[in-house]
Amino acid sequence: MAAAVTSNRVMPVPQAAASAILVVEDIVMRFVTAEGGLTALDKVSFNVAPGEFLAVIGPSGCGKSTLFNIIGGLLGGYQGRVAVGGEAIYGPHASIGMVFQEESTFPWRNVVDNVAFPLEIAGMPRGERIDRARRFVSMVGLDGFEQRYPSELSGGMRQRVSMARTLASEPKILLMDEPFAALDEQTRLLLGDKVLQIQQQLKQTTLLITHNITEAVQLADRILVMTYRPGRVKRIVDIDLPRPRSSEIVSSEAFGRYVAQIWSDLRAEASRGMVDDESRVLHAGDHGT
Amino acid sequence: MSAAAVTARRWAPPLVGFGSVLVILAVVEVLIRIGAINHYIVPLPSEVATSLVRVIFEEDILHRFLITAWECLAAGALLTVFGVAAGIAFHQARLLRLACENWVAAMASAPLVLAYPLFLVLFGRSALTIIMMSFLVGLPPVILKTIEGLSATRRVLINVGRSFKLTPAQQFWKILFPSALPTIFVGIRLGLMFALINVVAVEFLINFGGLGQLINDLAERYDLPGVYAAICFVVLISVVFFVLTERTERWLRSAA
Amino acid sequence: MAEIGRLARAPQAWPWRTSVTLLRAAIVLAALLSWQMLAVSGLLYRDVVPPLPEVGVALVTLLSKRDFYWNLWFTIDEIAIGLVLGGVAGLVAGLVIGSSQFIAKAFEPYLYYLGPTPKIIFFPVMIMWFGAGAGSKIAMGAASCFFPIALSVAAGMRQIDVVLIKVGLSFRANPWQMATKIYLPAMRQPVINGLRLGLGVALIGTLLAETKISNRGLGFVVIDAYNAFNMPRLYAILIVLFVLAIGANALITRLGGLDEIKQK
Repeated sequence: MAAAVTSNRVMPVPQAAASAILVVEDIVMRFVTAEGGLTALDKVSFNVAPGEFLAVIGPSGCGKSTLFNIIGGLLGGYQGRVAVGGEAIYGPHASIGMVFQEESTFPWRNVVDNVAFPLEIAGMPRGERIDRARRFVSMVGLDGFEQRYPSELSGGMRQRVSMARTLASEPKILLMDEPFAALDEQTRLLLGDKVLQIQQQLKQTTLLITHNITEAVQLADRILVMTYRPGRVKRIVDIDLPRPRSSEIVSSEAFGRYVAQIWSDLRAEASRGMVDDESRVLHAGDHGT
Repeated sequence: MSAAAVTARRWAPPLVGFGSVLVILAVVEVLIRIGAINHYIVPLPSEVATSLVRVIFEEDILHRFLITAWECLAAGALLTVFGVAAGIAFHQARLLRLACENWVAAMASAPLVLAYPLFLVLFGRSALTIIMMSFLVGLPPVILKTIEGLSATRRVLINVGRSFKLTPAQQFWKILFPSALPTIFVGIRLGLMFALINVVAVEFLINFGGLGQLINDLAERYDLPGVYAAICFVVLISVVFFVLTERTERWLRSAA
Repeated sequence: MAEIGRLARAPQAWPWRTSVTLLRAAIVLAALLSWQMLAVSGLLYRDVVPPLPEVGVALVTLLSKRDFYWNLWFTIDEIAIGLVLGGVAGLVAGLVIGSSQFIAKAFEPYLYYLGPTPKIIFFPVMIMWFGAGAGSKIAMGAASCFFPIALSVAAGMRQIDVVLIKVGLSFRANPWQMATKIYLPAMRQPVINGLRLGLGVALIGTLLAETKISNRGLGFVVIDAYNAFNMPRLYAILIVLFVLAIGANALITRLGGLDEIKQK
């Protein structure tokens, strides 16, 4: 059913802070480099409501990974505020679970020991944490693989293990940085289905960083489009596709229209990024470095 | 942050490192002077420093250095020539390689230098002993790296050669060998390092030769500051040698 | 053409195995034969290359006398203590250096460039500090193995995939948990490799020191045979030493390899 592309506010109006579980306020991040200073993020603000799936999309170089590390508490030295449930956070926090882009399973532990890791850190006794871990292993569809080692699994399976591990810590907010970037398109779509399923089941608030438009539209309730460096919020798009969704949605008209719309926003930013890259390579030789 | 701050950041660690060494030497100096450390066992660092100058002039250090250097060079030349040749031979004759590569690797882990009394018997207390020992010790890495470099030639490059219908000899000299050169240089550098270490060590042990013998000499004369000074000198030479070979290899690698 | 043929054939059991064994046996046989011929030819000064049976007898004599084992134990003791001292110091130094870029840049060059120097030249100093007995030998062993172990541990810490550290941090593991559950398991291979190298140089350092000044240990047995010009005995003890050294090396490699199999 053709859904009208609903209102796209050019200047994002933040949701009422009271109902938001995650509040990101006026984040400014500057880095010092050999060539001088670099502003990665310039006054980024947005809120995430409980149970919502928010995707942050932007071209390479827009600071999305920086944002990911800031919200996750792994990066400091920024201006602005990150608050969960009203409480400002300053480092890795129990209420935020991170799933990284790179291979992050521990190669020396089997699947169930990997998933039980956060519970082990928290001091849960072995019997209890293995039981709990098994539940999450099952949730990501890896029943029967508990005793296998990551080297025996495919890339997609390993990412599922990483996801199960983070879910096992039952965070209020699931923060994911391009977890499917290294996977092929088909695996990505199918895993996207799995993520949707899990998110519906757990009513998990999720913040997904990605550069893949299809993925964002497939999974998200709202999409935040970022500009190229310095990263700012360019636009917030409500995705009014029906829930529950499956990967079949990619063939619908409304889906295509959302993708086209977001691409038109992104294209300008992505081209700026490309031009910037090229000029940097061009001038790298000038200084005889 | 300014460019000056960036420079400061770059030089701070090495300065801290060097500064700590100076501080430790100063502390040792003080401890010896106040008698906390017996100066018959540990000489004053300041005395060692002055001995360094004395040793350089009195002990004919240039001559000794040249002796050690020529021993290294001889061993180095031998291990390069025979090592690369053997490596090529092993690579070309697959059966030979399968049979012997493990043996060469075992030889690399064998404490060959312990056999120096044997070499003394075979070659006498002479430069030949030193050169032969160092040659044998430095040989395995060259052989192994040569084999490794040749076998690791990228398949696609070999196929390029095939597509141009190169003869086996051309294939080897125009594709395999050039592609293996960086790795071969790594092997030669390792071999040279082992050879140098061995040259000085054996000179010390058999009390013959250049710098290694000097240390032995000074020790037998109970010239404690001299011993320390000579040791420092040898360490310095070895560091310089190491840095030189490293830089050369890196330069060759970027040129290759 | 041959390529295509090779691809089409089903992979069979390694056909080279018997040929390799045969070749190896042939090489060993040829070596032994040429040795024997050289020995009885009279070309070299007597006994420089003794006839094989004499070497065999010397070997048996060596291994059947009690004092060989007494010397062996003595040497093993020295090496073990030296390895523990140098190893622990190296481990701590490596952990410290690997954990901080600043410290690494400040101090690692010293380890890196001091590493490939011949440690035996420090022996006179060791004798001065620790006496002519076991102390100086242990010190030689410890000083020798400190460097490769420290450098391997430092390198091992640096090769740990950063994302694994981030995972630990994101789950708020405390420093002890980080060390035991993330750093150490992730460094197993480099550390084992460092230990293997360390054992090799500790062995050499200790034994060389024994040949220089000692009245006990396997190094002493070597120099004693040399001084008495008992060539068969010299060859015998050298053979034993080499076998032991290569064996110890293989053992550690095998132990390290067991880990690999599980993880691969």
